[in-house]
Amino acid sequence: MAELSKDKLRWIYERMRLIREFEDRTAQLFAAGKIPGFVHLYAGEEAIAVGVCALLTDADYITSTHRGHGHCIAKGVDVREMMAELYGKATGSCKGKGGSMHIADVEKGMLGANGIVGAGGPLACGSALMAKVKGTDQVTVCFFGDGAAEQGTMHESMNLASIWKLPVIFVCENNGYAQTTPAHYHCAAKDIADRATAYNMPGFVVDGTDVFAVYEAANEAIARARRGEGPTLLECKAFRYYGHFQGDNMSYFSEEEIAANRARDPIEKFKKRVLERGLMTEQELAEIDAWAKKEVDEAVKFAEESPYPALEEVYTDVYVSYP
Amino acid sequence: MSTIGIIANPASGKDIRRLVAHASVFDNNEKTNILQRILLALDAIGVDQAFIMPDYYGLGPRALDGIRLSRLQVEMLDMPTTGTDRDSTEAAARLRAMEVGAILVLGGDGTNRVVAKGCGDVPIVPISTGTNNVFPSMVEGTVAGLAAGVVAMKVVDVNRVSYRAKRLEVYVDHELIDIALVDVVTSSDLWIGTRALWNPSQLREVVLARAEPGCIGLSSLGSCFQALGAREEQGMHLRLGPNGVQVLAPLGPGLVTRVGVQAHRLIAVGEEVRLQPGAGTLALDGEREIEIYGQPEISVRLTQDGPRVVDICQCITEAASLGFFCGSPIQKL
Repeated sequence: MAELSKDKLRWIYERMRLIREFEDRTAQLFAAGKIPGFVHLYAGEEAIAVGVCALLTDADYITSTHRGHGHCIAKGVDVREMMAELYGKATGSCKGKGGSMHIADVEKGMLGANGIVGAGGPLACGSALMAKVKGTDQVTVCFFGDGAAEQGTMHESMNLASIWKLPVIFVCENNGYAQTTPAHYHCAAKDIADRATAYNMPGFVVDGTDVFAVYEAANEAIARARRGEGPTLLECKAFRYYGHFQGDNMSYFSEEEIAANRARDPIEKFKKRVLERGLMTEQELAEIDAWAKKEVDEAVKFAEESPYPALEEVYTDVYVSYP
Repeated sequence: MSTIGIIANPASGKDIRRLVAHASVFDNNEKTNILQRILLALDAIGVDQAFIMPDYYGLGPRALDGIRLSRLQVEMLDMPTTGTDRDSTEAAARLRAMEVGAILVLGGDGTNRVVAKGCGDVPIVPISTGTNNVFPSMVEGTVAGLAAGVVAMKVVDVNRVSYRAKRLEVYVDHELIDIALVDVVTSSDLWIGTRALWNPSQLREVVLARAEPGCIGLSSLGSCFQALGAREEQGMHLRLGPNGVQVLAPLGPGLVTRVGVQAHRLIAVGEEVRLQPGAGTLALDGEREIEIYGQPEISVRLTQDGPRVVDICQCITEAASLGFFCGSPIQKL
């Protein structure tokens, strides 16, 4: 496994805690009616976004999903601008015009959350083709869910990426449910990674609740892409704490399933292992917990104090020029 | 009443060695097909009943969907599942309690390792559906089904067509914590991570129950010094390092690389090897399983207390010599 320095371990914990704090707070704010639209929360899947993005630079790209907050935070998007975007404020990542499902920050290589399931695949092929044509060593990570795995766009994207040996890492976040439909019902193959054979690319399954496993797998897949050897399909098995969207009553989850999920919480697993190894202390972890809370407190304050976009803004950032 | 147990691992053959080596995906459709061929063979020779371990993919129900059995009654084992390797151990223990005649195991070295924790003296018929396998054979499911069937039906004397596998017992601070059937390896990798081993620079020590020249993985490394089969009452201890003899060995599919071996020696059954201390991971049968913290005392004992394994070829030969497949005595030309 690639060496994980103390600084990198610290960064991993910071990002995972920040995602969890952001999502838990968003759940509360949404329930309080402060956030318009829909939110789909990433809590429980932190190890995937963080384990992968720990190996990327700002020059590398990611494409995301409707459940994109975790990807944004792992890629370094400012949480104050993210929260303002959720509130629909002018200071948001996309001037308040995108909301939760359309946060983007190209400077950070975050090409956008996406309300269309499976829409990230073609975008990832596009940015990867750009890197290949220009001869850079940039890679693109395409995060998608088990539901998106059944969309034609993903099949086309993986096929194209393989034909052209594009530097894409397809990371399937299999949280067990496509909205409310269990993966064992909608996926004939059960293990989505099995499909890699048909696309003539390597594919395998990894524990998506173990950040060390994700990091090791992503390290090899990213290195392969940078060497120009083409795409990889990485299926990360995980779970989500919240419903498909906030308001989903999660009646399809059994008590046993919820308890089993809590027992494999990615953040708790990380804490236990770095403490046992003596690589981080309780105090260091507690300081990061407090830091994450403060970051989100400030993000909420920033969002609430920010103005809404001016009415004239409705005519800007659109494909048609209005007089 | 002849009964068979079947434990098929839907997760075998899918790890990172598809990326870091050139292993192929052993998909679950193929495992389903193998299971169908097994069931048809069991049915053809007159086995009464088979019990299949439930799993997240549903290998058993899928295998039953599309085949017609005339006699064989097939049931799924009534047990809770976790989707982890604990299911295989639990299934093996239940099948043992049910006194089935044999257990067919579809998986790799790792699957057989966890089955061995629960199967007791019930003979097992291992079929390889994994990657770097030493313990199970790459064998056609139909033939494996026939072999398991004649054992369960007591057509052959199981003691004549099987052998007792060796077992490596792993002790941490003198407490038995796990077992392996092929190899125990210490690695400087701090984390279990994706489990597989492929970087020789991170390997420190190897204890082998078998050193098989016809296989890939660390078992083949040992065979560069001396081949040790499944039935030989010896094992091997190797200490690795960059300053040792650079041995060319096939560590994985398509991954033939130099491994530095500083020292090696044979070990006898009953002997305990004390491993050098140091932080890292312990790999059992090719997969990192245990993260080592602090400076515990780790030792490995070679025993002959492994599972009873059916020799498929010997079993079929024995059944044939008894005229089982002919139905009635036939005249010689």
